Amino acid sequence: MIHVQNLTKHYADLERGKLVALDGISFDAYPGRIYGLLGPNGAGKTTALRIISTVLRPTAGSVSVNGCDVVTQPSQVRRQLGFMSANTGIYDRMSAWEMVEYFGRLHGLTDERLRARMETLFDRLQMNEIRDLLGSKMSTGMKQKVSIARALVHDPPVLVFDEATVGLDVLVARALLKTVAELREQGKCIVFSTHIMREVEKLCDRVAIVHRGRILAEGTLDELRDRHDQRDLEELFFRLISEHDARPTAA
Amino acid sequence: MNWSNVKLILHREVRDQLRDRRTLFMIAVLPLLLYPLLGMSMFQVLQFVREHPTRVLVIGAGGPAESPALVDGGRFAERWFSAAEKSRLLEVTRGDDDLERVARIKGDVGRAARQAVEGGEFEAVVYFPPDFARRLAAFRAKLAERPAPDGPPPPAAGKGRGKGEPDVPGPEIFYNTAKEKSQITFLRVSRVLDRWRDQIGRENLATSRLPESTARPFQWEEHDVAKEGGHRDAAVWSKLLPFLLVIWALTGAFYPAIDLCAGEKERGTLETLLSSPAERSEIVWGKLLTVMAFSAVTALLNLLSIRITGQFVMSVLPSQIGPPPPLTPLWLALALLPMSALFGALCLALAAFAKSSKEGQYYLMPLMMVTMPLVILPMAPGVELTLGNSLIPVAGVVLLLRALMEGNYLQALPFVPLVVAVTLVCCLWAIRWAVDQFNSESVLFRESERLDVGRWFTHLLRDRGDTPSPAEAVLCGVLILLVQFFMNYALGSTQLESTGFRRLAVLAIVTQLVVIATPALLMTTMLTRSPRRTLLLTRPPWGALPAAAALALALHPAAVRFGELVRKLYPISEEVEKALAALFSDAPSLWQLLLLVAVVPAICEELAFRGFVLSGLRHTGHRWWAIVISSFFFGVTHGILQQSIVACVIGLVIGYLAVQSGSLFPCMVFHLTHNALTVVGARLCPEALGRNPLPDWLATTGDDGGYAFTLTAVALSLFAAGVLLAWFRSLPCAPSPEEALRDALEHQAGPGASGFQPVAKP
Repeated sequence: MIHVQNLTKHYADLERGKLVALDGISFDAYPGRIYGLLGPNGAGKTTALRIISTVLRPTAGSVSVNGCDVVTQPSQVRRQLGFMSANTGIYDRMSAWEMVEYFGRLHGLTDERLRARMETLFDRLQMNEIRDLLGSKMSTGMKQKVSIARALVHDPPVLVFDEATVGLDVLVARALLKTVAELREQGKCIVFSTHIMREVEKLCDRVAIVHRGRILAEGTLDELRDRHDQRDLEELFFRLISEHDARPTAA
Repeated sequence: MNWSNVKLILHREVRDQLRDRRTLFMIAVLPLLLYPLLGMSMFQVLQFVREHPTRVLVIGAGGPAESPALVDGGRFAERWFSAAEKSRLLEVTRGDDDLERVARIKGDVGRAARQAVEGGEFEAVVYFPPDFARRLAAFRAKLAERPAPDGPPPPAAGKGRGKGEPDVPGPEIFYNTAKEKSQITFLRVSRVLDRWRDQIGRENLATSRLPESTARPFQWEEHDVAKEGGHRDAAVWSKLLPFLLVIWALTGAFYPAIDLCAGEKERGTLETLLSSPAERSEIVWGKLLTVMAFSAVTALLNLLSIRITGQFVMSVLPSQIGPPPPLTPLWLALALLPMSALFGALCLALAAFAKSSKEGQYYLMPLMMVTMPLVILPMAPGVELTLGNSLIPVAGVVLLLRALMEGNYLQALPFVPLVVAVTLVCCLWAIRWAVDQFNSESVLFRESERLDVGRWFTHLLRDRGDTPSPAEAVLCGVLILLVQFFMNYALGSTQLESTGFRRLAVLAIVTQLVVIATPALLMTTMLTRSPRRTLLLTRPPWGALPAAAALALALHPAAVRFGELVRKLYPISEEVEKALAALFSDAPSLWQLLLLVAVVPAICEELAFRGFVLSGLRHTGHRWWAIVISSFFFGVTHGILQQSIVACVIGLVIGYLAVQSGSLFPCMVFHLTHNALTVVGARLCPEALGRNPLPDWLATTGDDGGYAFTLTAVALSLFAAGVLLAWFRSLPCAPSPEEALRDALEHQAGPGASGFQPVAKP
C-alpha cells in the first residue's frame, strides 16, 4: 500500500518566488483498489506521483510504499513500483522489445522469467506487431503501450499512472483504462492521476480532488456526492475549485 | 553499487549512440575525412606561398663597377640565390629606371618607401643611398693603398671602423611585419644582399691581398644528434600527438554526454530511468563509461588518422620528419584512459545541467577555455616535466607523455606516481560532481527561465533565506576576485613605483576593507534575513578560542615547511620575494605590521570566506566541498601563486573550525595567530635566534637567517594539530538542512526513519 502523510513540496521559482506545489496532502492507497487524483493542470498531481516514485524528494512529510520510505529507502521503493508518466519516456533509437527487455533486466529478472513475462505482456497488449519498431517510428498509442509494458514487466505490486491517457485517441485510451481495471483485479495497488472526470467515474474506487497543492475533498465517489449533495462529478469538481479560489487566503 | 545495472546501462547507451548518425559522424567519419582534407589544403597553401612571386622596388643598387651586378634585368642576378630558378620569386622594379618616380620620392625617400609598402604597391623597398657605389669604391681604393699583408691589420667592416677610415652608408630595407608577404620578401631580399655583400667582401680581401679565409678563418661541420638518433622526430610527434589526444578526448566526450543527459531530458526518458531500480550512481557510471568509450575511440581514430596523414605530409616537406617512436601508441593508450575518464565525468556533470541539447552545446566553449591553457602550457618553450608541473592536472599528463614519447624514461619515472595521483584525484572529483548533479532535483528538473535581470533581483531580495544560497556564495567569491583583479590592474603601475611601507599598507588595508569585506557585508545585508547566522557571529563553544590559537601555534612548523616546499616546487620570482621582504623590513614598528598582516585580514577575510561564502556553500549538502571551494576563493585572493597554495591549505583548516564550532570567532583567532607567527618569525627571529638559538632537534638557522624547522618539529606539530582537530571534531556540529538530508541518505536508516522531515530552503 501507499501511505502519504502531510506531503509538502516547495519549488524556488524566479517569477513567483517560493512555489508551494504540495501543501501537506495525506492519503492512503490499498491493494486491489484504484486511488484517483483528480485535479486541473498545475494542481500538484505529477509532483505527488514523482515523489511516490522517488524521482523527487519531499520538502516535508513522508511517503511510504509497502512500508519503505521514499527518502531513506528509495531503491526498495522503486523495486515495488511501476511508474508511467504522461510523457511516455520512450527511447527513439530502441525497439519496443529492446526497451521492455532493458527495464526488465534493470529490475533483475532472470532471462527465463523475463522472456515469459515479455511474451505475456506483448500478447496481452497486442504489441507483437511493433516488437521491432524503433521508438522514433511509433505512434502515440504505440508508445503508450510500450510504456505500460515497461511499467509492468517486473510485475510490481504498486502502479502509478500519471495522466496516462493524455494525447491518446478514444480507442487507445479505452484499451488503457481496461488494462488498468484488469490490473486492479490482479490485486495491484494503483494510483491514477487525471483531469478527466469520466475516467475517475469509470475507474477509481476512491478519489482525491486536488487543487493548488491541497486535497479539497477525498472519499469514494458516492461519499463525495452525498457529502456535497451533488450527483454530477463535474459540477462537484467546479464547485469545490470555485469555492477554494474564492477564499481570500487562496487569492 | 550493482555493477550488472551499470553494465546494462552502458550496453544500452553504447548501442543507442551507435545508432545515432551524428555520433558516428563525430567519432568515425570526421577523423577519417578531416586530416586528409587538412593535409591537402596545407599543400595548396604551401604551394601558394612558395611559388608566389613578390615585388621589390630597388632604388640605386649600384656596387663597384668591377663587382658582379646585384640586379640583372628585371630581377636580382641568379648567382645571389641558392638555386637559379628562385630568382623569379622576386620581381624587381628599378627605381632609377623610373626617373619620375625617383624624382618624386627623392625629397623624402623614407616616407615614400613606407607609403609604397603600406599601400601594397611593393612588398619591400631597398634603397641604396645615391653615393653608395662611389663610397664603396673609395673604400676599396683605400684598401688597395694599404701595405702588403705583413703590414698593419686591415680595417674592420661596418661599425667600429677606425678613425679616418672611409665610411660606407648601408642600404635601407623597408618592409611590413604586419603583412606575411612582406615578411617573406624581406627574408628573400636579406639573403640576396647577404650573398652580394659576401662577394664584395671577398673582392675587398683580394684587393687587400689577403686570402678569403681571413674573413672566415674556419668552417664548422654540423652533426644534429636529434636527427641521427630519431629524437627530432620524437620531439615533433611528442608535441603534436598529446595535444591532439587531449583535445579529441574532450571533444569525443562532449557530444555523447550532451545526448546522454540533455538529450534524455528532452525525450522525457530521464524520468523513466530515474524511477527504475538503478541507483543514481549506477546511472552515472553507466553513462560515464559510455562517454569514456566514445571519448577514447574518437581520440584514437583522430590520432590514427593524423598519424597517417601527418607522416605523408611530412615526408614531402623539406624537413623530412620520420614516424613517431615505436612505443608511442602504448603511451598514448595509457594516457587516454585517465583523460577520457576525467573529461567524460566533467562533460557528464555539465551536460546534466543543460535542459536541452542546444543549451548543452553552449557549455563546450567554457570547458575548452578552461582546458586549453592546461594543454598549451606544456607546449610553451622551456616547460619541462618537473615536480611542480607534474602536479598540474592535464598539463602533467601531457608533459609525462612527452617525456615517455621522447624516450626519457629515467626522467619520467619519478613523476609517474605524482601524475597518476593528481589525475586520479581529479577523476574522482569529477565523477563525484557528476553523481551529485544526478542527485540534484534543481539540476535534473530545471525549468526554462526567462532572462530578466529585474525579476532576478526581485527574486533575490524577495525570496532571500536566513543564509545565502550556494549560487550567491559563489557569486560573492567571484565578485571579490573580479574587483581585486580590476583594482590591481588599475593600481598596478603605482604599486611598482611605490616601495614605501605606508603606501603598501594603505593598499593592503583598502583591499581588505573594500574588496573583500564590503562585498560580503553588502550581500549579507541585501540577500539574507539573518546576518548573524550567515556570518556565524555566534558565541563559540567553551574552549574553542584558545584551542584555535593553540592549533595555529601547533601547525606553525608544518605550515612553514609546507610553504618552503611550495616555493621549491614553484620558485618565487626575485622581484616578488624582494617586495615581500621589504614589506616586513620597512615596517616602522611590529604592531603596525601585525595590524596590517594579521588583524585586518583575520577579520575581513573571515567575514567573507568563512562567513558569507562558506555559509552559502553549505546548502549544497557537502560540507567538505563547501570548505574546499571557500578555501579556493580564499587562496586565490592572495594573488601570488605560492601564497595562494599555502592559503588554500590553511583555509581548509579554518573552514573545518567554522563548521565544527559554528562560530567565526575561532576562525579569526586561528587566522590572526597564524599570520602573527609568520610576521614575528620574519621580523624578530633572526635577532632572537642569535641571542637564544632554538634546540637543534627543533629548528636550525636557515639560509635567510631565519629558523628552519626540522622534520621532528614538523612531526610533533602535526601530532599536536591532530589532537586539537580531534577535539574540534568532538564538538556538536549543526548541519545545514541539506547536509542533514545527505547524512540521512548515506546512513540509509531503516523504515523508522521516515519521520525525518527536511526543512525547505526557500
